[in-house]
Amino acid sequence: MQHLASRRPSGAAARSTTKTFLSAAAVLSALTLAGCGAGGGGTASADDAESLTVLVEAGGKAELTGVAEKFTEETGTDVTFVELPYEGLYNRLNTEFSSGSTSFDVAALDAIWLSTFADAVTPLNDMFTDEVTSDLFPALVEEAQVGEDFVGMPVWTNSEILFYRTDLFEDPAEKAAFKDEYGYDLDPPTTWEQYQDVAQFFTRDTDGDGQTDLYGTDVKGAVETEWLATVSQSGAENMVLSPEGDVTVNDADHLAALDFYVGLNNDLKVSPPGAAQIDWAGAQNLFYQGETAMMRFWAHAYPQTPEDSPVAGKIGAAPMIGGPGGVAGVPGPWYLSIPKTTEKQETANEFLQFAYDNNAMGIDSSLGLAARVSAFEEYEGKPGYEHFDALVETLSAEGTKPRPATENWQEIVDSALIPMLQKALEPGADNQQLLDDAKEQIEAIVQ
Amino acid sequence: MNGLVVRGKTARTVLWVLLAVVTVLYGFPFVYLLLTSFKTPLETIAVPATVFGSEFTLENYATALGREGVIASFINSTVTAVLSTAISLVLAVPAAYAITRYRTPSGQVFILVALVCRMVPAIVVGVPLVSLFRDLGIADTSLALAIAHATLSLPLSIWLMTSFFDAVPDELDEAAKIDGCSRLGALRRVVLPVVSGGVAVTAIFAFLASWNEFLFSLLLTSVRAQTTPIVIANFQTQFGLDWGSMTALAAVYSIPVVLLTLVLQRHIVAGLTLGAVKG
Repeated sequence: MQHLASRRPSGAAARSTTKTFLSAAAVLSALTLAGCGAGGGGTASADDAESLTVLVEAGGKAELTGVAEKFTEETGTDVTFVELPYEGLYNRLNTEFSSGSTSFDVAALDAIWLSTFADAVTPLNDMFTDEVTSDLFPALVEEAQVGEDFVGMPVWTNSEILFYRTDLFEDPAEKAAFKDEYGYDLDPPTTWEQYQDVAQFFTRDTDGDGQTDLYGTDVKGAVETEWLATVSQSGAENMVLSPEGDVTVNDADHLAALDFYVGLNNDLKVSPPGAAQIDWAGAQNLFYQGETAMMRFWAHAYPQTPEDSPVAGKIGAAPMIGGPGGVAGVPGPWYLSIPKTTEKQETANEFLQFAYDNNAMGIDSSLGLAARVSAFEEYEGKPGYEHFDALVETLSAEGTKPRPATENWQEIVDSALIPMLQKALEPGADNQQLLDDAKEQIEAIVQ
Repeated sequence: MNGLVVRGKTARTVLWVLLAVVTVLYGFPFVYLLLTSFKTPLETIAVPATVFGSEFTLENYATALGREGVIASFINSTVTAVLSTAISLVLAVPAAYAITRYRTPSGQVFILVALVCRMVPAIVVGVPLVSLFRDLGIADTSLALAIAHATLSLPLSIWLMTSFFDAVPDELDEAAKIDGCSRLGALRRVVLPVVSGGVAVTAIFAFLASWNEFLFSLLLTSVRAQTTPIVIANFQTQFGLDWGSMTALAAVYSIPVVLLTLVLQRHIVAGLTLGAVKG
């Protein structure tokens, strides 16, 4: 009886057994799932020679997807992308390089990170032949080299160009009124003076309510790159820092650039209020809402105007404006680099060469960018790529220079340059004093 | 008497107004997020921003949910949060029970150390965890991420459970022991049912800590175990911010925790007030 009882559990005991069984099953399932994760695929391991893991910023994945698919077709090597947000990508790279082992075989690096991670990535000197360097914009080649070594292969590049509203610039009444007032034709401006004139001309109250509702341009105080382009336009030989590490941020050229840049807001009042807080997204929003007549912005945005924007189909592109030093922009390239720690050096190298050889494929992606001059030239004049002329001209301009190669660059930007710009946008700011203060801060950072 | 009634009414009105203000302050960001998720792409970036869109669209939801890896990331977030909560509770409950019942000096030191651990910035343990999990062969798994998340929630879980156990008189354990229970039996059969509200509160805090966690998910996952907060953040790229899709996915991601909170609401209130009348 006792024996039977033990073999035939009572109702409560059966429920308990079922509960235990279900709990165990649940825990096992969870652990199985936890052990794998639901993402499938899996990261490449050292012994899995037929795969490559590429770490990339979320916005840049589209640029590489086509190339990766073709690479897999031709070589049989699977390419798995790990997408991360911009800030997160930097933290991830920093953490993995610091830990001495990496989970990826190739990484897409922002140009400003190359100096920081130069020691952790494999030199690519053999890849930079004369043929290769002659097909890349000079600033990109300069930026790829840290010390003696080339540490990244450019995969796509951007630059600010000038966006303008064709419905305003091509309006005969506007053209006539502008010529009457300024004595020359209304065209996309090419110089600082013309930019000031056009911006003043379009700043107006369009509906007669006493409030300005159309501005000539925006002024961005929350990002630094546009001011840096202005520094190059001023003819400055060194942007913020000299190659020897001397801080040049308070010289006459930087001051002229700052005076022009913030003067649009402070003196001419041709930009919407709140300039100190305007960043890329804010400037783009203002332009797409039809609140600004011109915008200096990254070229990739040309084909991305929202369909329901009042300015959709009415946007033209011109090269970046020029100052005393001529036309200049700041290139915004991304590079592919190979961590020294990956065991798949050969396959990663093969992928980089393949990405370079098929660089034009990036133009067919949603971002529509490439790094090779020949790739851009292949598309120039085609419908939808009207902005490429402006982009190539800006990137090829003698004044277009990369940002300084220093591992402290991000800190310089966050701690010195952006706060300086924001203070300069306050009424009555002493620009020279602000630049002097910035110099002190930057010296403290780099020394 | 009339004065008392008037004063009572006034106090109640002030209380209701205060409650309404607090509710709006807490609720508005979420409501704004929901409303934005139904706006057209241009209206999501309007300057100045508008609360209500002129058009209702599900386009953002279609874009967000159609993005590669979103469903997998939901599964990963769920598995990681459940596992992390389980690890936290399995470790925190006995630890807190021992601290409150044995009251040893080492127990007091332990709970203080737990509090100090809570103060350590997550990034400090991030780098060692990357190496550790890779050496253990569990890098980019939900298990590794759950363990990492448990390091964040465990100290708070121990503190919460300690306060809940403190509110239960020792006499209850003694009575259970007289009835034949072992120490663990008393915990399982008598004390835990009494503090079930507290366990629910602790579980919710641990679950939320894991569900919303970003940094460890960023550092410790790549493809297989990537969680939804990373996918949401990926809508902000160097080339622009897709507000519509970002808010749509964030709204969908909020649903499970909102439901969980509603379902466990009674336990949460009971748990939060459990220690309130301790003499």
